[in-house]
Amino acid sequence: MAVALVSLVSGCTSLQSSATEVGGVRKTDERPVRDGGTLTVALNSDPDKLDPSLAQTLVGRTVFAGMCEKLYDIDENGTLVPQLATSLPEVSADGLTVTLPVRQGAKFSDGTPLDAAAVVTSLLRHRDLPGSARATELGPVEKAVAVGSSTVRITLDHPYVPLTGVLADRAGMVMSPTALKKYGKDFTNHPSCVGAFRFVERVGGDRIVLEKDPNYYDAAKIHLDKVVYKPIADGNVRLANLRSGDVQIGDQMGPVDVQSSLTEPKLQLFNSPSLGYQGIGVNVGNVNGLGEKPGKIDTPLASDVRVREAFDLAIDRDLLNTVVFQGMYEPACGPISPQSGIAPGVDPEDCPKRDVAKAKKLLKEAGVKLPVKIELKTSTTPEQGRVGQVLQAMVKEAGFELSLLPTEYATMISETDEGDYDVFTSGWSGRLDPDGNVSNFLKTAGAMNAYGIGDPDIDRLIDEGRSVSDPARRTEIYDELTRRVQGDHSMIYLYRQKNYVVASKDVAGIRVYGDGLVRVTNAGYIR
Amino acid sequence: MTKFLLTRLRQSLITLILVSIVVFAGIRALPGDPALALAGEERSPEALAAIREAYGLNDNIVVQYGRFVGHALTGDLGTSSRTGLPVSEAIGQALPVTLELAALSLLLAVVVGIGAGVLAAVRRGKPEEWLANAVALVGLSIPTFWLGIVLVLGFAIAVPVFAASGYVPFGTDPLDNLRRMVLPSIVLGSGLAAVVMRQTRGAMLDSLSADYVRTARAKGLSRRAVVGGHALRNSLVTVVTVLGLQLGHLISGAVVTEQIFVLPGFGKLTIDAVFTRDYATLQAVVLCTSAAYILINLLVDVVYSVIDPRIRLGGAR
Repeated sequence: MAVALVSLVSGCTSLQSSATEVGGVRKTDERPVRDGGTLTVALNSDPDKLDPSLAQTLVGRTVFAGMCEKLYDIDENGTLVPQLATSLPEVSADGLTVTLPVRQGAKFSDGTPLDAAAVVTSLLRHRDLPGSARATELGPVEKAVAVGSSTVRITLDHPYVPLTGVLADRAGMVMSPTALKKYGKDFTNHPSCVGAFRFVERVGGDRIVLEKDPNYYDAAKIHLDKVVYKPIADGNVRLANLRSGDVQIGDQMGPVDVQSSLTEPKLQLFNSPSLGYQGIGVNVGNVNGLGEKPGKIDTPLASDVRVREAFDLAIDRDLLNTVVFQGMYEPACGPISPQSGIAPGVDPEDCPKRDVAKAKKLLKEAGVKLPVKIELKTSTTPEQGRVGQVLQAMVKEAGFELSLLPTEYATMISETDEGDYDVFTSGWSGRLDPDGNVSNFLKTAGAMNAYGIGDPDIDRLIDEGRSVSDPARRTEIYDELTRRVQGDHSMIYLYRQKNYVVASKDVAGIRVYGDGLVRVTNAGYIR
Repeated sequence: MTKFLLTRLRQSLITLILVSIVVFAGIRALPGDPALALAGEERSPEALAAIREAYGLNDNIVVQYGRFVGHALTGDLGTSSRTGLPVSEAIGQALPVTLELAALSLLLAVVVGIGAGVLAAVRRGKPEEWLANAVALVGLSIPTFWLGIVLVLGFAIAVPVFAASGYVPFGTDPLDNLRRMVLPSIVLGSGLAAVVMRQTRGAMLDSLSADYVRTARAKGLSRRAVVGGHALRNSLVTVVTVLGLQLGHLISGAVVTEQIFVLPGFGKLTIDAVFTRDYATLQAVVLCTSAAYILINLLVDVVYSVIDPRIRLGGAR
């Protein structure tokens, strides 16, 4: 009944047809382009510090994609490929020594040469700088030394397979040692890396300007003179600027704005599946705060897995996607994206289907008093509000009374970290290596395990996944881990966002891969 | 006049000190740990501890306030915890944008509002008055956000006369600057123009029926001299009062307008700082805004005393 009502209210049929118009995955546009011109990219927020060791935001990663190359990158298929390294790393038989060959002849934007010593300087800074957001990722790195000018040898304190994936993100960005020495903490205002473009200026809240770097090793293939990144928070305003031609690329467009852009003949759409996830986190044992040993919570949802299963079974992921996101995201039921090039996760078609009868039966077996009252904390965005309302209607049919508590984002994070919640909307932008989507969240006392999950089997599987290098075996391990998490229903995965980027049809050479970054290195205006 | 000014300056300084305390304490009373907002997704306990240490968040609030005031007195408003840019630099870049937006909006409001108000009063009961009232009602009723989007659709997309967003300093390219500032100024100034029009009309109607105006007419002064030299001048005290009060609304209204037109002004800086719990930026912008309010009120008092010398005498006693 509730589901029918939701469908009726949202006009299900028209939404489905709209979603079809978006078309399939489109990650690149390889039309030939001419040299010259300035490209303006509208980001959905202002990036944080332009220092690869300290940076935290996805929009910041998009800016770095233009000016700070990494040891490794991903290609269209999500496969790791060398960038400032010349081949994938060689790992010793015991998994404790990793050897990286470094590109020769490349220069930083300040004109100084890239060599193995520079890579070592950056790796150690990422690991040791106070406040570094890379410290955890590079935690297993015990030692890094330069062997000659073109080889880096890393010694690990335990086998750590996710390292290559980690080096394909900010931890793999190499900064000019000369600039680091010259500017120290102020490197963020004078970033210097190896990249197609170099930093020119930043006006906080207004723009970040990059220009073509003549020192770049592949400068002949770079077409644009300048790239300007502008933060425009409101999706409507981003779209209006795309339509007026004031900006040429709109990043992270929401489903409604994407639908509007489809009616505009001079705009084109790119989309790629995301590596992250969105869902509902249940407080099953967070009584002492983040990073502490789980305790006992005496609510039906926390104490009885049958109640959590009933809650999960009451949710229709397909309908949620259709109603809230116009069918433009993907239903999800596990932590790892099926698009992962390393260990693909569960396909949306294989996700459990809604079964209200079974949910009611489970609640009866559990002997709980109906309705089961639960409070859902959501952030205050309209999308999250709609997710909450749709879930409220769905689970009501099974016997749950879900009350919504929209909470300002920083407050919600603070409260959920402390364990002050029943359930909350929990999401993650995703990492290349599956370990980045599971270890901090699902391991006992993990750095972001706000759910209070403490399961020795899950801990064992996470450790195994980190130390086994055989891809087939890793896929098996993460499949088993996903089943274990699904069976516990502590983190109920619901959907994966897609990376939607709207661009002017005058521009080609843009790349939008699964990591959600807009790559403009080879972009330009069409001939 | 000097004594009057000194008295008002002393009062303003006390107000500013009180405001700084309220602002400092108020921002820290906001829910949500700023270290969490800064840490983003990757909030390991080590990263959080380092952030708290780096920004002095572990110290008690009195120590933090003392440090803030000490630095502020030397012109150092701190460093943005989000971008790492100096706050004074960010304010220095944002201030001209908002001031220009406010000045152009004010100009629009004064020219259109006073002109329409005088016309409505002089042509009372005629179609001109109905038209002016209707325009004022529309100006007051239309939500800023909606008007902004409509103007962008009309004059930046359908007929691309103006730009949809962005800011270019007047000194860099005057024409491009105006191309980008006209629409935001209309959006921000339309509400104020309506208020000014209604106040001018009301004050003018009172003045036009006053004895001194009748006397002036009886003396054979021209219509222009009676309306402009006598009635309007006396009506301006009311209008200036309203303008002073509305200037505050103009600055706060700039928050929405700057979001719509992506102008890197004070409003945008404030919003970004709130959502990222950027204490240093937030307290600096709120303090500067408060100082601007106080300065505006001071200027209004001075303008009063120029228009009506009796006010100056009263203040000096």
